[in-house]
Amino acid sequence: MKRTLHFWRRYRRNRGAVVGLVLLLAIVLAAVFGPMVYTVDPFDMIGRPAQTPSARFPLGTDVSGRDILAGLLHGGRVSLLIGVAASLCATTLGVVVGAAAGYCGRGSDILLMRLTDFFLTIPSFVLAVVIIAIFRPSLISVMSAIAIVSWPPVARLARAEFMAHRDREYVQACRAMGMSDFRIAARHILPNALPPVIVVSSLLVATAILTESGLSFLGLSDPNVVSWGYMIGIGRTMLRTAWWMSAIPGMAILVTVLCINLVGEGLSDALNPKLQER
Amino acid sequence: MGMSRLPAILAATPLALALCGAAALAQSCPKTGGTLTYVYSLEPTSLSTIATSAVPVALISTKIYESLLTYEGPALTPKPGLAESWTISDDRKTYTFKLRPGVTWHDGKPFTAQDVKFSVEDIIRPYHSRGKVYFGDVEAVETPDDLTVVFRLKAPVPFFMNVFQPGEAPIMPKHAFDGIDVKAVAAVRAAPIMQNPVGTGPFRFKEWRKGSHITLERNPGYWRKGFPCLDQVVQRIMPDGAARAIAIETGEVDLAPMSSLPEAEVQRLEKIPTLEASQAGAEALGPNLWLEVNMREKPLADLKVRQALSLALDRERIVDVIWYGQGKPARGPVVSTNAAFNAALKPYEYNPRKANQLLDEAGYRRGADGIRFKITQHFLPYGENWARLGEYVRQELGKVGIAVETQSADLGGWLKAVYTDWSFNLTSTFSHNYSDPSIGVERTFHSDFIRKGATFTNSMGYRNPRVDQLFGLAAREIDPAARQKQFDEMQQILHDELPVIFLMEMSYTHVWNRKVKGLITNGISMYSSWDGVSKD
Amino acid sequence: MSSLSLGFVSVRLLQVVPSVLGIAVLNFALLHLAPGDAAEIIGAQSGGASKEFVDELRRSFGIDRPLYQQFFIYLGKLLTFDLGMSNVQQRPVLDLIADRMPATLLLMLTAIGIAIVVGVLCGVVAAMRHRKWVDTIVSVLALLCYATPQFWLGLMLIVLFSVTLGVLPSGGMMTIGAQMEPLARALDIGRHLVLPALTLGLFYAAVYARLMRASMLEVYSSDFITTARAKGLSEGRISLTHAARNALMPVVTLGGVQIGHMLGGSILVETVFGWPGLGRLLFDGLLQRDLNLLLGILFISSILVVLCNLLVDLVYGLLDPRILAR
Repeated sequence: MKRTLHFWRRYRRNRGAVVGLVLLLAIVLAAVFGPMVYTVDPFDMIGRPAQTPSARFPLGTDVSGRDILAGLLHGGRVSLLIGVAASLCATTLGVVVGAAAGYCGRGSDILLMRLTDFFLTIPSFVLAVVIIAIFRPSLISVMSAIAIVSWPPVARLARAEFMAHRDREYVQACRAMGMSDFRIAARHILPNALPPVIVVSSLLVATAILTESGLSFLGLSDPNVVSWGYMIGIGRTMLRTAWWMSAIPGMAILVTVLCINLVGEGLSDALNPKLQER
Repeated sequence: MGMSRLPAILAATPLALALCGAAALAQSCPKTGGTLTYVYSLEPTSLSTIATSAVPVALISTKIYESLLTYEGPALTPKPGLAESWTISDDRKTYTFKLRPGVTWHDGKPFTAQDVKFSVEDIIRPYHSRGKVYFGDVEAVETPDDLTVVFRLKAPVPFFMNVFQPGEAPIMPKHAFDGIDVKAVAAVRAAPIMQNPVGTGPFRFKEWRKGSHITLERNPGYWRKGFPCLDQVVQRIMPDGAARAIAIETGEVDLAPMSSLPEAEVQRLEKIPTLEASQAGAEALGPNLWLEVNMREKPLADLKVRQALSLALDRERIVDVIWYGQGKPARGPVVSTNAAFNAALKPYEYNPRKANQLLDEAGYRRGADGIRFKITQHFLPYGENWARLGEYVRQELGKVGIAVETQSADLGGWLKAVYTDWSFNLTSTFSHNYSDPSIGVERTFHSDFIRKGATFTNSMGYRNPRVDQLFGLAAREIDPAARQKQFDEMQQILHDELPVIFLMEMSYTHVWNRKVKGLITNGISMYSSWDGVSKD
Repeated sequence: MSSLSLGFVSVRLLQVVPSVLGIAVLNFALLHLAPGDAAEIIGAQSGGASKEFVDELRRSFGIDRPLYQQFFIYLGKLLTFDLGMSNVQQRPVLDLIADRMPATLLLMLTAIGIAIVVGVLCGVVAAMRHRKWVDTIVSVLALLCYATPQFWLGLMLIVLFSVTLGVLPSGGMMTIGAQMEPLARALDIGRHLVLPALTLGLFYAAVYARLMRASMLEVYSSDFITTARAKGLSEGRISLTHAARNALMPVVTLGGVQIGHMLGGSILVETVFGWPGLGRLLFDGLLQRDLNLLLGILFISSILVVLCNLLVDLVYGLLDPRILAR
């Protein structure tokens, strides 16, 4: 409890991070509960196409006469879901690889870091496009593709942390007590290595949302759900006459990603004592 | 074999065959010079329709290559082209074409009857996607002299005079294939002429900047004196729909043919006084949109279920909201602009209540979750409208208790699922009628075309012996009235049995700058040579 | 450069080989997992083809052979830089790539130029005026650019500059059909380049600005700057000669790593602006399942990334001679 308070006090010092957190919470709430309150189906063609905002359609209608507000709320679910899930997967994968490499060292380190470097070499968006095209666009394939292209930086970071902790006194003490390597790594080093990983992982959410929007803009999104990038894509054909169709979901992405970045910075400030002085 | 000069049989012939001199064509250009730039989304993959008759290829290659005939009017009245005149035997099995003297290829070599024989026998028949439909019944091509070609047919082909279009039967220079093994598909596709074309047409190839544009320039030695009117024809490649619309609005391009603009933009551009939008000039293509139903499995094998699908979809809405009014509700396999259309067919009804009732009757009652059964759906990966249509179908079928899961695939995956693996339930697609149902309709509904791996064929697994028989008869019938009766019956059966859910007759909209004159001349205007097109 | 650095270069070059091999294996495996093949697509483009025709195409492309045979054929050809023929376009893959490479390089280099100049300048200025309003503005702008989807920015720039103001072209690489002097042509291309390069470059400018600012601040707080200050060097001189030079290193590193990332961005930007480059070639190739073309592009682009990383290592060495000696 005291630690949490302490953490919050440090987080609060970054005003941008506080604003970001509040806005982000609002966005998450809107995405989670919005579709329950505003029960319009985002795929129902209920109005004339390309209407300007009105009382009936607060944000207007899209190219097929569907409610943009409904699309925005449902799309938020998908964008956030994919962002968070992809980031979690990438973090897990990255931490496992990085921990194994950093803690075990030697042969496995070289091998795993080679693998990581190898994945860093391949143009990531290109790889994501290829993966999704091959396995067909669906929530799972999009999420997995993003995770597969985003884990290497986490692995590098985790490796550096684990290497730094490997020979610390408390680890040596654990070894002396006869603890298994897995237990030492998972129970003792991991909590200490986690703060910088959490910062990177929170920023990964932002990157994942951006990547997802780019993919669905190219038509590589699950056809059964709405997402923000997809909405920009379909609005694009009417850029001249109805620019807001593309502008609105784009703003949603911009604000969400911005908030996540602000929160990430706040976390970084709060978790990294060295940077606190700035 | 009794030959008669053509004018004598003209009145009696159904296909409006005509022997007609250059008198009917304009004698001179209203204006000469200038560049016509048109825009399309995709880059052609070749400069010859032999390799593929995809739209961008057909657009550009029909200015370079010609065929024996040219055509006038929406119903494609044959006119002289590379052939100056022709005679048809009374039994309709011998066609004799007299070629125009003094025609040269773009490389200066003379054009002769040998080129025609070679093109038909060695190139078009084996490699053009409709080559076997057109020339499969040709027993022999004879060349008694350099300017005469005689086609001997095994049996009469009712649509034979329709096939000599520049995109469907392009005449290619025999000498360009010297040293190439024309029996090997790879050698033909890789022949230099596929990228550096040599034709007889009004325009010759000048430059191809990949990803950007292709330039054709005037053929100074063109056989029609004083033509073409334009100095250059340029095809620009712009993948982005909004960018294409802006380009035509600013005058950067003069023409956006074959529905290459987003429908929503067309509505806006139509109102601009310097621009003209028209759906005329593609009558001989007749694109028809439908949902292909895999009839091998229940529940879609059940006629009542298919009727319910048909009743659950509002065709007016699909036309108005997804295609922005560019099209009209379909009434069967043949589009209403085609001469063979059966006007007695009833329009399909939109009635979700009746759909629910039929599904109940068929024994598919709603479960506790309101769902009767689940199916998957594919959609033709040809762009946004098709994705929109898929969303609409899922939405509307959901309302009558059919849960539809949409699977998205690129062209390769879609083709495999639909035509190779038959592992689909429902998919949107479209098919061209072309100028005759024997060319464009038969391949979707005749049971001979249930062939794994053959694309755009009878993927449904639909078999009806009577329909097969009718197609067989019509392909040989030379009495037009009898043939129409066969087509009428075929259409009525398909209309009722719904092997596909007929949705919409599509239309190709062309948008052009009013400075451009003389574009719309026949039912294949965009696939014609444009020798008489001019620009102020 | 010393013989030591030559050794360093050759070692780095040797390390590249397994990566390239790995990329070849990965690409090949991935693309063969895909359903449908190029022969079917060509059949479809012909408006419907018979099974015999499709089978014959398959035979002529060699895609009816066992997978391992196809792979060894592919590898053998790679050694001679023969990337095969594009199945759909019927031209050598290397030619197609070479056709599109200049456009993409022009776009990417311009974007990198914008990113480095704008990013580094803003970063330096912000760090020098730490916690002043300039710093705040730079930070906020950088955050905004960093959070904007590139393709969306491109669309909005089109709305603003092409649609509303009408001052810049909305797409393409040049005005076509017009006869122009070389200088006028260059200017014309320049006009077409502005929006796509800005779209692609601004994101990286934001990245560099943030990085430059952070690393300048880091350097400021380090010992040798304190020493320099003690020696009485002017603040401006300290910033530019000492701090900036040292702070530049992470920027250079990142630049190398991000070539691959930028290539991904250029797919989107080239699609939005109709820029006739490699990114769009890749996307078209993907939609048409043009196997050889895709393999070729992925191969060439990863070589590009590997080479850029190598280049970065060398530049790094120039900035910090200690690396080479290691």
